[in-house]
Amino acid sequence: MIRYDHATKRYGPGPPALDGLTLEVPAGETCVLVGPSGGGKTTALKMVNRLVEPTSGRVLIDGRDVAAVDPVTLRRGIGYVIQQVGLFPHLDVAANVATVPRLLGWDRRRLDARVDELLDLVGLEPATYRHRRPDELSGGQRQRVGVARALAADPPILLMDEPFGAVDPVTRARLQDEFLRVQHTLRRTVVLVTHDIDEALRLGDRLAVLAIGGRLEQYGTPAEVLAGPATPFVADFVGAGRTLRRLDLLSASDALAPPAPAAAPAGGPAVAPTVSLAEVLATLLTTDAPCVRVVDDGVVAGIVTLDSIRAALAATAGPASRRTAPQAAIETEADVVVDDDGESVVSEGGEA
Amino acid sequence: MDHRPELWSETGTHARLVVLALLLAVPPAVALGVAAARRPRLAAVAVGTAGVIFTIPSLALFALLVAPLGLGTPPAVAALALYSVLPVLRNTVVGLHEVPADAVEAARGMGMTEAQALWRVRLPLALPVVVGGVRVAAVTAVGVATVAALVAAGGLGDSIFAGLRAGDSAEVLAATAVIAALALTVDGTLAGLEQWLRRGR
Repeated sequence: MIRYDHATKRYGPGPPALDGLTLEVPAGETCVLVGPSGGGKTTALKMVNRLVEPTSGRVLIDGRDVAAVDPVTLRRGIGYVIQQVGLFPHLDVAANVATVPRLLGWDRRRLDARVDELLDLVGLEPATYRHRRPDELSGGQRQRVGVARALAADPPILLMDEPFGAVDPVTRARLQDEFLRVQHTLRRTVVLVTHDIDEALRLGDRLAVLAIGGRLEQYGTPAEVLAGPATPFVADFVGAGRTLRRLDLLSASDALAPPAPAAAPAGGPAVAPTVSLAEVLATLLTTDAPCVRVVDDGVVAGIVTLDSIRAALAATAGPASRRTAPQAAIETEADVVVDDDGESVVSEGGEA
Repeated sequence: MDHRPELWSETGTHARLVVLALLLAVPPAVALGVAAARRPRLAAVAVGTAGVIFTIPSLALFALLVAPLGLGTPPAVAALALYSVLPVLRNTVVGLHEVPADAVEAARGMGMTEAQALWRVRLPLALPVVVGGVRVAAVTAVGVATVAALVAAGGLGDSIFAGLRAGDSAEVLAATAVIAALALTVDGTLAGLEQWLRRGR
């Protein structure tokens, strides 16, 4: 478990890079620090392995202040993936991956076995790639080696600074899928930095939205952030596609219409309960059917209608969004919020 | 034509002076470069000083060193070593600066100590540029070592100055050709080493 306790970083006089960050990342979860440049995301990330020391406040790992741990020892126990990957160009893939185990003095046999195991894990055939050099790899392959290297000594914590930033969108999506697959089995405590809200929603168990000046605007699950942006800044950052994104996170079983399953018509389109509401909505829009049947293992569990989708969105909207008055506007089009409230968005989240 | 045996032994002496000078100059120059790489003030002072030494005319530098070191090999090797400092020092500083910042950050972030990051990452990556500096130093030294004959240290300068005194232009030309060949050989060998290091082992 990682805990930020009023962690603040100032470089010189102006506004701080990170302003009193307090949040807790439970063990085994992925926390995504997301926000525009200048939000202090990387600063916050680097506080965990002491590449940045807080000006005030603390960062604790399993209750222990990292400032009390020797930085070299600390870092060998924390996987680190940086944006430009930072592979050592003079060493082959195997030697790159083996960096930390070698620092820890593992013997040759154990090292070689571990390297092969990790290359397999990140989807690189060991026999083919073990002795390649970084300049013989594609961007995506380099990122994979970077992740393998970070995982080499089996660290419980993984820090990732824009790990999939330097690749094309197709490769990026594939790397994200593989990250989710690997994280599903390994269950590391991950802190990941990105400025891409889609990546954040996709990879994070929790999102921490940081604004310029290093202020934490909201900390919550993707569903919570989408359903109830805590501030106009978050609503603006999450963007106009917010409602559609929420439909991606909800499934057909979340929007069953009130009438009993018996009332369901015999024909028409049918989906499994785990299918996303976005797909159900697409089915409703592209067929003439008034409803979609939800069928679980051959048994009709209920129906989904446009009304029941609307109800599901309303029911899962967070408390913050219900507090705000022009809620309908926020729900449909985040841009409207900027129009209504543009002044305060700029002054709170903007130049400062 | 009967100068051949002398030319061979003079070539050996000439090469020995150059090798001794490099052995003496390269380790401290690299060490100074490492120390200066992250200290801009030290780098400015060290490169500036080495630069001034580099501009002293060779005849003057050899003569200056005769006073403390006497005649023979010592002043010659010392002068050549002093000339060698600048290219090696400068290239070490430049080479270390050119090491990709992300590799250095990764090294630090993964828990290398400063010394480990230097030996495992920074120096290996700077090495081709450092060797480039040694190459410039060596080629310069092969040429300048001709003057060593004037402080009684021998080398191919002996044949050149003897030939000049005797009006034997063939002897002068022969010795000059050997010096040029020696310089080209040294240059080619170290250029090859540099290439090999760049491409990786």
